Amino acid sequence: MIEFDVVTIGSGPAGLAAAIELSRQGVAHVVIERESKSGGILKQCIHDGFGLHRFNERLTGPEYAGRFLDEAIEKGVEIWNDTFVSKIEKDDGFILTLVNSEKGVFKIKVKAIILANGCRERTGKQINIHGTRPAGIYTAGTAQYFINIQGYMPFNKCVILGSGDIGLIMARRLTLEGAEVLGVYEAKDSPSGLTRNISQCLEDFNVPLYLSKTVTKVFGEDYLEGVQVMSVDKDIRPIEGTDEYVACDTLILSVGLIPENELAKSLDIPLDSRTKGPVVDEKLMTMQDGVFSCGNALHVNDLVDYVSESGETAAKNAAEYAKQKNRVARSVTDVNYNNEDFLYIVPQKISREAEGKVKFYFRSADIKENSTVNIRAGGKTIFKRKYNVLRPPEMEAVEIELSGEGEITFELI
Amino acid sequence: MYIDIRMSVCNTEEGTYMKELNKLSEKLKKEIDASIEVTETRGAVRLEGTVKDWDSVIKAGEKAAELPYRGVINDIQANGIDSSKERKAELKDSKLSGLKMDVMVIGGGIIGCSIARELAKYNLDILLVDKESDLGLHQSSRNDGMVHPGVMPKPGTKKAYYNVRGNEMYAAIAKDLNVKYRTIGTYVMFENKVIDVLARSLIKRAERNRVKGVRHVSRKQILENEPNISDSVVGGIYMPTTGVCPPYEMTIAMGESAVINGAKISLSTQVTGMQIENGKIHSVNTNRGNVFPKIVINAAGLFSDMIAQMAGDRFFTIHPRKGQVALLDKEKGRLLDSVVSIVSLNSAFQKTKGGGLVKTADGNILVGPSAYEQPYKEDYSTDYEDIDRVLSKNLRYIKGLEKKDVITYLAGTRAATYKEDFIVEESLYISNLIHAAGIQSPGYASAPAIALDIAEMAIKKAKEYRQVIKKESFIKERKGITRVAGMDNESRQKFIEQNQDYGKILCRCEEISKGEILDAVNSPVPALTVDAVKRRTRAGMGRCQGGFCKPLIAEIIHQETGIEIESILSKGGGLQ
Repeated sequence: MIEFDVVTIGSGPAGLAAAIELSRQGVAHVVIERESKSGGILKQCIHDGFGLHRFNERLTGPEYAGRFLDEAIEKGVEIWNDTFVSKIEKDDGFILTLVNSEKGVFKIKVKAIILANGCRERTGKQINIHGTRPAGIYTAGTAQYFINIQGYMPFNKCVILGSGDIGLIMARRLTLEGAEVLGVYEAKDSPSGLTRNISQCLEDFNVPLYLSKTVTKVFGEDYLEGVQVMSVDKDIRPIEGTDEYVACDTLILSVGLIPENELAKSLDIPLDSRTKGPVVDEKLMTMQDGVFSCGNALHVNDLVDYVSESGETAAKNAAEYAKQKNRVARSVTDVNYNNEDFLYIVPQKISREAEGKVKFYFRSADIKENSTVNIRAGGKTIFKRKYNVLRPPEMEAVEIELSGEGEITFELI
Repeated sequence: MYIDIRMSVCNTEEGTYMKELNKLSEKLKKEIDASIEVTETRGAVRLEGTVKDWDSVIKAGEKAAELPYRGVINDIQANGIDSSKERKAELKDSKLSGLKMDVMVIGGGIIGCSIARELAKYNLDILLVDKESDLGLHQSSRNDGMVHPGVMPKPGTKKAYYNVRGNEMYAAIAKDLNVKYRTIGTYVMFENKVIDVLARSLIKRAERNRVKGVRHVSRKQILENEPNISDSVVGGIYMPTTGVCPPYEMTIAMGESAVINGAKISLSTQVTGMQIENGKIHSVNTNRGNVFPKIVINAAGLFSDMIAQMAGDRFFTIHPRKGQVALLDKEKGRLLDSVVSIVSLNSAFQKTKGGGLVKTADGNILVGPSAYEQPYKEDYSTDYEDIDRVLSKNLRYIKGLEKKDVITYLAGTRAATYKEDFIVEESLYISNLIHAAGIQSPGYASAPAIALDIAEMAIKKAKEYRQVIKKESFIKERKGITRVAGMDNESRQKFIEQNQDYGKILCRCEEISKGEILDAVNSPVPALTVDAVKRRTRAGMGRCQGGFCKPLIAEIIHQETGIEIESILSKGGGLQ
C-alpha cells in the first residue's frame, strides 16, 4: 500500500490551493479527483469576476483554476484524475479505497485528509415543487454544464427560480445564447445573490426579478409546458388565490447549494446544521483528528478567493498535523454567538490554547444596517468593526489575533 | 376452507338478477342522479348517465359491484371531466406491418413481460407491444416494490390466490434474473390492546389464504428487529414472507429474459384497433402497422378495459386509484429493516393497505402510498398536500425520520375494477383473446403466478392449431447489468481489468460506472433516454438527483446511438 502524509480529496479551487500549500510545506501528498479534469465547478464558470481579492484581476473561472493548476504542476503536485474515493476507514491513520480505470480498486494510507470536494445543488424536490415530471427542469449548474462544456442548448423559454448567484449568471448566459428568460423568481423578499450580479446579469439584460414569489407546480408530459407561480408570505408559505400560469419550456433551479459531506458522514464527523458542513476548529480540523475541511465542502462561499484561502489554511495545519510525532488530545470550545444575529460562523469551535492569527467567516442572519461586530475573548473586546450593511448573501471575513484566551464570543450591536 | 379459484370464470345468464338490477336502478336514481340507467350486458352491469362529480361516478360503480354480476361497466360521465385522456405513441411507421405471430402480448408492464417470458419457454412466436418508449412506465415503475405476503386480499379471490403463489415464486425468479430480492417481513403494528380482535382475524385470514408463518408479536419481539419503532406501539402481527424487489428492474429483467429467449418487443407501439371475424381477433392495428396474431393477451394495465372494448369484449371498467409516495435519503435507511405500518380498527381491511414504511431493496425508506379516486389514468402529478399527509401519517412509526429527509416523491395510479379482483381468464366471447386485466396491488407480487396460468391458457389455444413444445434451449438466467460498486474488491478489480469503463465513476451519489451506463444502452431492451438509464442502473437516483451525471449520460447515449440530445432528455424520447 502506498503511503502519504496527506491526501486532498477534490481539485477545485480549494483542493488545488491546499495541494500547492502542502508542497510548500514539504510533505508527501496526493490529490484525488473524480473528474477527468481538475478545476472543479470553475471549469464551467466561463463568466469573469473571479480572483478580485487574490489577484486584483477579473478572471474567468477556467483562468482562475488554470493559475492554480499551473502552479501545482510546476511544484510537481501529483493529481490522480478520474479516481473515485469509494471508502475511508480509520486505522492508526486513514486507509482510502480508491477506484479508477487504470489501477482498478486500490488502497492508500495517509496520516491526514483534506476534504475539498465542494458542494452540490439543491433539487426541486427538496423545495416542494409538485405537479408532473416533464423534461426541461434543470438545476442551474446542470444547465450551465450543458451550455458551457457540452455546447448543447436545449433551452428556449426559461423561468429561473431562485436568485442565487448561479441563477443570476445563468439568466445572463441563457439570454446571450438566444433563449428568452421570462424572469427570476425569488421566494424571499430580498435577492439571494450578490448585488453586483443583480445589476450585471438582470438589470443590464432587462430580465425581471420577482421577489416573494415562487414556483409551486409544473405542467407538461414529455416536456415542460408551463409553471404555476404563487406569491408567498414572509414564512415562504404560498398565499391562496395568487397563482398565475407562466408558459415556458425550461425551469432553471438556483435554490441553494449543499456542501458534499458524504465522506465526512461515513466517518461519523459531526456536521453543523446551519452550514451543512463539518464542525471545525481554528485549524479547520473537523471533530475527527486528522480530517480537515475547506472550501465549499466546509460552507458555501460566495467568493472563490475565500475558498482557496481556506484550502491553504487547512493544508498548513494538515501538514503540521502529519509531521507531529506525539499528538496530544485537543480541547475545544464553542464559538459563542446569538442565532438571531448570525446565520453562521466558521470555525464553529476554537481550541483552548489557540494562539496567533485566526480567520473567521460569518454571515448575518438578516439584513442589518449600521451595526457593529464586537468580538470578546478572555473578558475583553479584542476586535470591533462597524458595517454600513450586513446581508446574509454576502459573507464577511475577519482576522483576529488570539492569545490562548480559551473562549470567544461574537456580538452584533 | 381454502378455495382454489384458479382459471374460474363465472358468467351470469341474462335476466337472472332482474329484481336486484331494478332495485339498484332505483337506488342510484334516488341517491346519486336521476339520469343513471342500469342495464345488463354479457354478464356485467352497465351504468350510463351524467352526474355532478367523479365521486358520484365511483359511488355508483361501487354500488353496482355489490350485485353478483361478473363485472361493472361504468360509462357514467361526470360533468366537465374527460376521463378518457391518454398519452398516445406519436411515432408512425410500418415496422410491424403484415407481421404474423403466435401470441401478441399487449402491455409491457410486469404482467405482460412475465407472460412473454413464460411463453418464451415454448416454441412460439411472441410479440410484446407497449405504447411507451420503455417497459414498465406505468403501474410497474410506480409502486413501492413490495412483494406482499398475501394476507390482506379477501380469501377466495384471485388476488389472494395469485398473491400468495407469486410471493412463493419471487426469490427464485429474482435470482435467475439477477435482480436484488430480500425477504424482509412486515410488522402490522397496533397501538391499542383492544385491537387483539383484529389481530386474531388477520391471523385467521392468513391461514385461509395459506400464508405461512403469520404470527402475533409483542412490542419486545418487534424491538429485537426494529429498535426504532414508536413508543406508542404495544404489539403487532408479523408476516415473515414479505419481500422487496425493485419493480422497474424486475420488469425490465423479465422483458430482457423474454428477448434473450426469442420474443420480440416493440416499444412506442400502441394498439389502435382490432378486426373481429367470427368471434375471433383477425388483425390488430398499431401505429407501426397492422399485425396478425393467432392469440392475443390483454395485459394493458390501466387501459385493459379499452383493449377489451376494441375486441368487443368489455365487461369491466378500470377506475384509476391514485397514490403518492415519498422516498427518503438512503442515509436514514439504517433506521428500518422491514415493512411497518400501524393499523387501527378503522383502517383495517380497507381497499388500500393505507400505506406504511417500506425498506426498499435499494436501501431507501419509502413512505406511503396514499390511495384516492380521481378520473385520470395517467395523472402522475404530485401535490404538496397529499405528500405532506402521507409523511405526517407514516413518519411517526419510526423514531428519527423527518420530513426533511425526503429526496423525491412520485405518484402512480392503480388499475382497479369495481369488483376489486383480478381478471385472469380466457374471453368468453372472443375465442383467441385472454385477459390479464384489472391487475393492481398486489399485482407486482402476483405477476409470476398469473404468468404461469395465462401461459397455460395460451398454450392450450396454440395447441389447437400447432404443435407446442418446451424449448430445451431456454436460458432462464439473465446476467443483467452488474453493479460494480456492490462487488468485493477482488471481483471489482477483475471487472475493471477486463473493461476499464467499469473503473470510471460517472454517478457519484450511487457510485455507478461508465461501463454500467454503456451496458444499459446496449442491453437487450436498450435504454435510450436518461430516464431509461436511470431505471436500469440507478444513475441519477441519489442525493443530487442527476444534477452532475445527467449531461454525461446524455452524451454517452448520443455517442452510442446518434439520437438527438433533446430526445434523450425527454420523457417519451429515445424513439428509433
